[in-house]
Amino acid sequence: MNDKSSPRKFSRRKFVQGVSTTIIGSYVLTPGVSKISEKLEAETKEIASGKKPLNLIVNKVRYELMISPETTLAEVLRNELKLTGTKLICNHGECGGCTVLLNGEAIYSCQMLALDAGEKEVTTIEGLLTGEELHPIQKAFVEHDGLQCGYCTPGQIIAAQAILLKNSQPSKEEILTGMSGNLCRCAAYPNILKSVLAAAGYLTEGTNR
Amino acid sequence: MKNYDSYQHVRGESLFLDDLTSPEGVLHAAIFSSPIAHGLIKTIDFHEALNSSGVIAILSAKDIPGENQIGGIIPDEVLLASEKVDYIGQPIALVIADSYLNAKKASNKIKINLEKLPPIFDPREAFRNNSLIIPSRTFEIGDVERAWKSCDLIIEGTADSGGQEHLYLETQAALAYPQEGNKIKIISSTQSPTAVQRTTARILAIKMNQVEVDVTRLGGGFGGKEDQATAWAVMAALGAYKMKAPVKLVLKRNDDMRMTGKRHPYSSDFKIGLTNDLKILAYEVTFYQNAGAAADLSPAILERTLFHTTNSYFIPNVKATGISCKTNLPPNTAFRGFGGPQAMFVIESAIFKAAEKLGVDPFEIQEKNLLNEGDEFPFGQRAENCNARKTWNELKRKINFEKTKVNIRNFNQENNLIKKGFALMPICFGISFTNTLMNQANALVHIYTDGSVGISTAAVEMGQGVNHKLRQVAAELFSIDLEKVSIESTNTTRSANTSPTAASSAADLNGKALENACRIILDRIITNIARELKVDDLKRLLIKKNILLLDNKPTEFTWEKLIQKTYTDRVSLSAQAYYATPGIYFNRNINKGKAFAYHVYGTAFIETALDCLRGIYKITDVKIVHDFGKSLNPVIDKGQAEGALIQGLGWMTIEEVIYDERGKLITDTLSTYKVPDLHFTPDKVEINFLEDSENPMGIFNSKAIGEPPLMYGIGGYFAIANAIKAFKQDTNIDCKAPMTPEKVLISLYSESIKQKPLKITKES
Repeated sequence: MNDKSSPRKFSRRKFVQGVSTTIIGSYVLTPGVSKISEKLEAETKEIASGKKPLNLIVNKVRYELMISPETTLAEVLRNELKLTGTKLICNHGECGGCTVLLNGEAIYSCQMLALDAGEKEVTTIEGLLTGEELHPIQKAFVEHDGLQCGYCTPGQIIAAQAILLKNSQPSKEEILTGMSGNLCRCAAYPNILKSVLAAAGYLTEGTNR
Repeated sequence: MKNYDSYQHVRGESLFLDDLTSPEGVLHAAIFSSPIAHGLIKTIDFHEALNSSGVIAILSAKDIPGENQIGGIIPDEVLLASEKVDYIGQPIALVIADSYLNAKKASNKIKINLEKLPPIFDPREAFRNNSLIIPSRTFEIGDVERAWKSCDLIIEGTADSGGQEHLYLETQAALAYPQEGNKIKIISSTQSPTAVQRTTARILAIKMNQVEVDVTRLGGGFGGKEDQATAWAVMAALGAYKMKAPVKLVLKRNDDMRMTGKRHPYSSDFKIGLTNDLKILAYEVTFYQNAGAAADLSPAILERTLFHTTNSYFIPNVKATGISCKTNLPPNTAFRGFGGPQAMFVIESAIFKAAEKLGVDPFEIQEKNLLNEGDEFPFGQRAENCNARKTWNELKRKINFEKTKVNIRNFNQENNLIKKGFALMPICFGISFTNTLMNQANALVHIYTDGSVGISTAAVEMGQGVNHKLRQVAAELFSIDLEKVSIESTNTTRSANTSPTAASSAADLNGKALENACRIILDRIITNIARELKVDDLKRLLIKKNILLLDNKPTEFTWEKLIQKTYTDRVSLSAQAYYATPGIYFNRNINKGKAFAYHVYGTAFIETALDCLRGIYKITDVKIVHDFGKSLNPVIDKGQAEGALIQGLGWMTIEEVIYDERGKLITDTLSTYKVPDLHFTPDKVEINFLEDSENPMGIFNSKAIGEPPLMYGIGGYFAIANAIKAFKQDTNIDCKAPMTPEKVLISLYSESIKQKPLKITKES
């Protein structure tokens, strides 16, 4: 074994320091609430570690984090907030697996530095539920079997949400354009298209079936 | 019936390997791999890498306690190369650090000195150099040499099909934990838990009962995790074993594409002989399989190529030779269809070329030669319950074939720059592992005292819906709600000595084993309650919709009460059962036998519209009549058929695996390797279920679905070829797939890609 120390000698403290992000606090978003003491603490830590403070609003919960500047939004969502519905598939902005909403627009979270998402509203697949109730798009994907292995599904659903937020009655062409950046290797595409069309129907009917 | 797994998928709650909460103190691994395609390792210097930030250790071949060997069929593949490298991306060392980034950074600091050896990438060149994985094999029926004399037309040519990247969206991944008693537990994204277990034991020099492998679900497999998930799982295990700490190994997309094998490219020579009335009398074919640098599953894949030499056709005289050629590329591996699609592309190419020469449409030759009941395949099995002609005729009726033909012809007369083309594509695919011994499965069923049911089998869920199908089997046999049934992870401590989830067979094999287990428990439950109710004739008792019926009248015993009663009477509520496909055998000395439990049939109509100015095309319409048997779940099965079709179309059209002259993969990102997206998807896809098809060899009379529909995609190639010919009649279609838009454009306007002229030995 090529070992610079014996296996158990690596220090736990050093290991923890290596983790790039630290959550300072999180609370449900209520406008006007300020946490001055935590901000001061964050600034102190920033100087010490080279990390930057980040106020991130994800699924209506505000998180105050200290992160290394190079951390992407996808990494923060998955590794720090444990919102693992968002998938990292190519990490190059080529597959759509990491699609989230940023102020209502679909973006590839692997292509955005987390710091750039500061103070903006991020919505992930976990944020579509109302309590235990599925969102109409989620219902449509179940109803029309718009998935197989499920790995691309969160990204597909969020991309569909972005389309439907802009236009609740999208044309087939608008759906093709809006979703062509989301790959599904199982090629459940015919049913994905059906699901999005059905979701548009549910939303305009307002029946929330 | 909706797929039960969907509810958690749409909530983003399904936990794939990389989504699991990492255990405390987990270490991360990165691979250092060969930078050249062929060479000898002279020196490796780990010094700088070891001093890199966060690095704990670097493991190489000499750290393997057992045998440095991962070959499954043939022991010809090391886990970590130490003397010789045979392809770019071959693993040499495992860097273990506190984070993936640190491990990766350190691996870039490893210095290696190699002595280059000349590489071979072309299978025919490998053949000339006698660089083979196994000796060649030949399947034969009739006597081709004599048959040529009776042919009115004989045509020879070549047909090549390219590789295909699996691109399972979840990359190869494993997480290994050291356990007490020198044991190891591995969570792996594998289709083959037993292979991971067996190989880990071999590498670590421990017993199989010291290795536990657990699989929850895969984010796609397609064959790419049948054999090739093993190496990564074993490396994680080696790391955990040596470090005495959990080790996680998740390949990044680019590494995954670079280091793993793909669908085998094939280059083939064919010779086909017909009579004037379009009967194919003789067919001779030699398949040069590009196996890559190690055997992996290539011999088995080559064998399936030979089994599917004649697709859906009866040809009385056939000689098919398969040659597995060893080259300096990553070992190619299983991919949905497992060698079958490559064979079918060649016979369809031969028919296309013969039709061209005879001035008829390919479908005339196809139709004339379709299999009939009792026809003999070149390997000796006879076609039983043969639905080749049935699906063909039904499809022609469904699409109003005569009218469709005229419409397309009229369209082409009226349009100069957009041309339509179509093809019919029949398929015939054998179901069973061609290695007979693998056709076995076991299932473990527990009914808990609250009436809920837990099932363990070898089936790995990877999007094909097998979990839901198994849930259906148990719910139907017990006649209870689906919600009461849960499918447990696939785990080697609950399901031992299992075959991989492959060959489309998981629902059949595991479903049948599960059926047997459920019946054992059901029998015990009924026998016990009969005693209580003083009923002699057990047939008077029946569970229906969660209630025990006596003479078809409800009793006080709900399912839950019945289970409680069985438990309190000290009757076992658990059973393990077994299934082995009956009646199949194959003699490899003579290459004859009944290799398959049954065949799946179907026919597709594929239409394309080609923009003759730009070379871009769109598959506009696909209609299929497919033989699902009595489908266990039409929703899941239809999704499988559509997905396989589109994946097959991708392989034939836009997906192109390219290595450069050094053997380095150029198409190693999603921007350079194009796979079907929503835009590519045909405008219309219509899947029709063949009626009145029964299949006693399948679970509840169903037929396997995973692989067969992929081969409809081959029709896409010939539909485009026909559209090209509608634009320029004398275009020489070279029968080299994929038919990328750039290739189409060149063929429309350039003479340069023409292959050598066909050799016509006899004209009608």
